[in-house]
Amino acid sequence: MKNVLIGGIGNILLGDDGVGPYIVRLLAAHFEFEKGVEVADLGTPALDLIDQISGRDAVILIDSIKVDCEPGSVLLYRKPDIMHLRPEVRMDPHSPALVETLLSVEMFAIAPRDVLLIGIAGGSYDSGCRLSTPVSASIHQVVGEIQAELDRLEITYRRRERPIESGIWWTVPKPAPLPFTA
Amino acid sequence: MAKRITIDPITRIEGHLRIDVEVENNAVNNAWASCTMWRGIETILRGRDPRDAWMFTQRFCGVCTTVHAMASVRAVEDALNLEVPLNAQYIRNLILIGHALHDHIVHFYQLSALDWVDILQIPKADPEKTAKLAESLSPWTRNSREEFKAAQDKVKAVAASGQLGIFTNGYWGHPAMRLSPEVNLLAFTHYVQALEYQRKALQVVGMLGSKTPHIQNLTVGGVSNAIDLDSPSALGMDRLEAIHVLLNDVVRFVNEVYFVDVCALAAMYPEWFKIGRGVTNYLAVPDLPLDTKASAYDLPGGYITNGNVGGVHAFKTASDKEFRESVSEDVTHAYYRGEKPLHPWVGETEPAFTGWDGEQKYSWVKAPRFQGQPMQVGPLAQVLIGYAQGHPLTRKYADLALNKVSAVAGVHATPDMLHSTLGRHAARAIRAAMLAELAQKHWQLLVDNIAKGDFTVYNQPVFNGEVEGVGTHEAPRGTLSHWVVVKDGKIKNYQAVVPSTWNASPRDRSGAHGPYEAALLRTPLARPEEPLEVLRTVHSFDPCMACACHAFDPSGRQIAKVKIL
Repeated sequence: MKNVLIGGIGNILLGDDGVGPYIVRLLAAHFEFEKGVEVADLGTPALDLIDQISGRDAVILIDSIKVDCEPGSVLLYRKPDIMHLRPEVRMDPHSPALVETLLSVEMFAIAPRDVLLIGIAGGSYDSGCRLSTPVSASIHQVVGEIQAELDRLEITYRRRERPIESGIWWTVPKPAPLPFTA
Repeated sequence: MAKRITIDPITRIEGHLRIDVEVENNAVNNAWASCTMWRGIETILRGRDPRDAWMFTQRFCGVCTTVHAMASVRAVEDALNLEVPLNAQYIRNLILIGHALHDHIVHFYQLSALDWVDILQIPKADPEKTAKLAESLSPWTRNSREEFKAAQDKVKAVAASGQLGIFTNGYWGHPAMRLSPEVNLLAFTHYVQALEYQRKALQVVGMLGSKTPHIQNLTVGGVSNAIDLDSPSALGMDRLEAIHVLLNDVVRFVNEVYFVDVCALAAMYPEWFKIGRGVTNYLAVPDLPLDTKASAYDLPGGYITNGNVGGVHAFKTASDKEFRESVSEDVTHAYYRGEKPLHPWVGETEPAFTGWDGEQKYSWVKAPRFQGQPMQVGPLAQVLIGYAQGHPLTRKYADLALNKVSAVAGVHATPDMLHSTLGRHAARAIRAAMLAELAQKHWQLLVDNIAKGDFTVYNQPVFNGEVEGVGTHEAPRGTLSHWVVVKDGKIKNYQAVVPSTWNASPRDRSGAHGPYEAALLRTPLARPEEPLEVLRTVHSFDPCMACACHAFDPSGRQIAKVKIL
């Protein structure tokens, strides 16, 4: 049994920053996974991410990213892409910590072998619980990338015959079911 | 001629702390603390059901999730005058303690120890000598030569690779780093071990709150944990025993490692008991309620003004009338519209960004004031207020810490030395030791109450007309208060006055500095271009500005900019 985390990162109160939590909750509502796979809305865990990823075999993280691309663009990053970045001198110790987290778990030899970060370029980070139109439109593609990674890792999953309640409690109105293809 | 130094982590969009200091003759002679992002999250809550507010507020911040959830349900309960069943109080208290122990351990080891510990000295250490030293300080069973050797080998491997990885940005070799190689190795080894014990503390929160991050078991009026001694899916003896085992491990780590390390570190940097005094008005609220009405507590609250510890005022309850009536927020130097200071129930949040101007507006943080004064909040405030009231548990661990520092440093350490950068670290360790003892007490209280046959966890809230309430929590970073106005079952106004806004507060209309700013004044800097001393003092407050956003920046610009003008 493989120990796998599919984690959504971001703040649901700040527009497109909430795309990670949104997608993983939608994913859990539409798919079932083999034993050992955990799908989790991680919020903005900062250094607590160490506790979430250490000792796993594989980790797939979904997060909004700040890049010079069209909002809604989906970009993939592997461990070396992230780890060559320099960690931050922290004035405020609780800011994003993906680089620090990966460097720490590598040093202590508790790092997952496979790490994939699926980044979605955000459009608006204003206060509010709604995703922008281009970011909403990227969700289908992100789910496809998650499926592709699970296939590569030889993890089995199947689409539920009827989706269960998504648990996306923060949007009004509730999100419409998305047109996933299995 | 004074030099201006700006320390500004260039990080996209989330809430960040920027510090500007003016340096003359290698000492700070003026300081500004500012937050670079607008939150305004409270506006999302208007018009919503107050029973749901805690789900939203626990998303303010990814690190302090639990504390915002707790303050929120307490605010609504206060507005409704709703009692909370004993089981629910104990379960909440255990969650709060688990969260706080996790937070204090993480703060010391992961977030601030490397301000004092020089990683590059570690390869020179003798693991044998380190083990002897460690054994003289503590009975901790993992202070063996083998543990120290293994940790040293990790650092050697990192150093040999030429890639410092996680340690890339430290001020290694800085003249203000003064520990022996052995002490550096000892502290670093505990930094590695801390990862295990902080996780255990978090597991306690998860087992009671059914999930971390973002606990699920709260509800206005109590908790939603089903108590059934025989069911494995409910809260029964099996789960309670598992929680007990985890708590005992964390308690041992706090007493035998964290507490000891802070005392030893303090003894080796005694000059830092004289630096970073700053604002000596202190504020703390009582917490860990012991009855359904919340009229008795295990942690005392109150306030001290102008360092007059003997003149301490006590708060009888967590929503004490004096506290309710004395808080206001001033926006003279913050990027908001508004004239006079406002009480949070009538608080406004209308942004008006004008750019950084040290004479005018320079921060997104409002300036909270208590009876018109800036207040320092956090473990130091709580320890001083408890000590001054003769609170036995506070006295027990504060005296123990001062005695340990005295023994190692060969000086006579007194409570007055706690008004300092090092005092804030010491107070956090003292508080952790108090909480460790209280963890075991509240676990027993819960078990005993259930054994009596009381399975009640919830009282039904009833909404009528317009009511206002304040929910407080003495969080790891200090006094947190959520202020709610409820009208016809909907939220009419909501304001959160969080610990870091008290401490990171900008100047107010009278020009009075906030606590970070005041604490930085007169700090000596060995090398102004490497302002390690500024980081030490700011970190001693355990700042958490990022009640905010978290987009990952793959461009690699995640490095603090130190700019000298």
